[in-house]
Amino acid sequence: MKKLLTWWGERALLVLISVVVLFPISWMFLTAFKQPRDAYSTSLNFTPTLDNFVTVFSDPWNLGSMVMNSVIVAVVTVAIAVPCASLAAYSFSRFRVRGRKFLFFLILSTQFIPAVVIVLPFFLMFRSLGLLDTRLALIIVNLAIVTPFVIWMIKGFIDAIPTDSEEAAMIDGASRLRVIKDIVLPMAAPGILTSSIFCFILTWNEFLFALILSRRDAVTLPVGLVSFRTERGDLWELMSAAGVMITVPIFIMALLIQKHFTRGMTAGAVK
Amino acid sequence: MAEVRLVDIEKRYGSFVAVAKQSLTIENGEFLVLLGPSGCGKTTTMRMIAGLEEITAGDILIAGERVNDKPPKDRDIAMVFQNYGLYPHMTVGQNIEYPLKLRGVNKATRQQQVQDTAAKVELDALLGRRPSELSGGQRQRVALARAIVRTPKIFLMDEPLSNLDAKLRVTMRAELKHLHHELGVTTVYVTHDQMEAMTLASRVAVMREGRIVQLDTPRKIYAEPADLFVAGFIGSPSMNLVNGSVTAGRFRAEGIDVPVDLPDRDSVVLGIRPEELDIATDSSAPVAGKLYALELTGDSTLVTMRMGKTSVCARGPADFEAAINEPCYLTPKAGARFHLFDRNSGQRLDG
Ligand SMILES: Nc1ncnc2c1ncn2[C@@H]1O[C@H](COP(=O)(O)OP(=O)(O)O)[C@@H](O)[C@H]1O
Ligand SMILES: [Mg+2]
Repeated sequence: MKKLLTWWGERALLVLISVVVLFPISWMFLTAFKQPRDAYSTSLNFTPTLDNFVTVFSDPWNLGSMVMNSVIVAVVTVAIAVPCASLAAYSFSRFRVRGRKFLFFLILSTQFIPAVVIVLPFFLMFRSLGLLDTRLALIIVNLAIVTPFVIWMIKGFIDAIPTDSEEAAMIDGASRLRVIKDIVLPMAAPGILTSSIFCFILTWNEFLFALILSRRDAVTLPVGLVSFRTERGDLWELMSAAGVMITVPIFIMALLIQKHFTRGMTAGAVK
Repeated sequence: MAEVRLVDIEKRYGSFVAVAKQSLTIENGEFLVLLGPSGCGKTTTMRMIAGLEEITAGDILIAGERVNDKPPKDRDIAMVFQNYGLYPHMTVGQNIEYPLKLRGVNKATRQQQVQDTAAKVELDALLGRRPSELSGGQRQRVALARAIVRTPKIFLMDEPLSNLDAKLRVTMRAELKHLHHELGVTTVYVTHDQMEAMTLASRVAVMREGRIVQLDTPRKIYAEPADLFVAGFIGSPSMNLVNGSVTAGRFRAEGIDVPVDLPDRDSVVLGIRPEELDIATDSSAPVAGKLYALELTGDSTLVTMRMGKTSVCARGPADFEAAINEPCYLTPKAGARFHLFDRNSGQRLDG
């Protein structure tokens, strides 16, 4: 009896949480397919349309270039941050260097600084470098934000891998780099993939710096959303369509993580 | 094949001494067993030879060459790890093949050698499996196969049979012994199992708290343990050790009175092996007490008797039977050896 109650209790709680989490998202998805006149109605009875998506990709919104900016900034950031962070994480995890703990703390401590504090210095720096409103500036900023986090995350995964296999490989005749390539990377792959996706999501959603550092050429999707707040009022249906464009890749990635994450856990080490 | 020399090596973790300063030479082609209880520094010693652990002080020479600063890959060593150290993302076949691959052996030769080695350790049917799909014993055999697939200068084996079941352990022991005979590669073998040490070793180094307390042939270590620790460690069941004193050429303790060749002194420990004691019927036998327990082992019966606080064990015939708590007598077999130790220092007094 008690068991049954717990069972139902658990289910009820899960449903409640799902509703709370999913409601705004489903609202956004619905609105994206509504015509302007239906945008404020709560009825589910409307004629769906793809007009909003066509509109956001054409003048004056030009979401296409923002998608491009977002993709390039996120992909390049991941492509640089993850390999560097992996090597750094490996070193932090395996080498007993003097001052290692302090250095690691130092790197992590950059995460404690509120973004608003450093956004102005960044702005001034990029202005004097002539890099304002460029993707390069956004990539540099995102690297600074994301790399410490990714180092920390990947270090966790590498810490969990026993060193036995690495030592065995070194005895078998592998150099340190060969060990990393043949042994560590394959074993840490699920963790590194998970971290890459986290890194991608962080960069993809980054708002504050993109808002301050871009004006026209380097505007990313989250910043682009703001432009749907016009003098004519908030264009909810267009904003939702753009919102869908932002969230769908994230959804897909979340699904990917899930699959790889469980596989990573079960593939685990051999004891 | 190579000689390994450890010269005044020492390993400390902070202030904790894992391996005390000492020297050890492992002869070319020798099968040296490091024997000792858990935590005495066996693995640490082996890892220093392999280059996996930095040495705090001293030198390591392999084939006359100082290798202190050489990475493991350049020492031409093969090692079996205590907890296997397999590559979980590779199949059994790839695991065994990896050392050959790293050394640039061509593919056809590699395949052949993997096949041959796998057959030796009875893994040929499992080459396609992942380590996670194997039992503990099978994993240990993969680790072994990976070590013996090529012929290195030195084999290092850290308790390579510890996770096998009793029967397989005996077979693999013979297999290792044969392999050593065939290849003649210098081997350092770690175990806490004195039986394994006795059966495999050319020489045994008995370790205690980071120090080698005796280094000799198995026969010599069994016959003449250097101190109380070795005496109690080697042999199964272990040597009887009785506290007493020597007066007028006789060792006396409660229930025991035997002639010994030693000047008078107190605080003496007499040691005698269970297999060198016979059951006697005569009440004038030199060892007298009450029967405490009988344990049949198959080919013999272990007879434990007590006299006051001490107990003495003897290996009697399998068909021996007697009533518990009844008087019982033992007598040393002809040619039996009494071992005498100083009770305080633990050092051997005779011979
Ligand atoms: N990395 C380490 N840091 C501190 N102490 C260690 C370390 N590795 C081993 N030790 C200690 O050194 C001693 C010897 O260990 P080990 O060589 O593994 O013993 P064993 O004879 O069981 O193989 C043990 O007391 C162990 O606790
Ligand atoms: Mg050990």
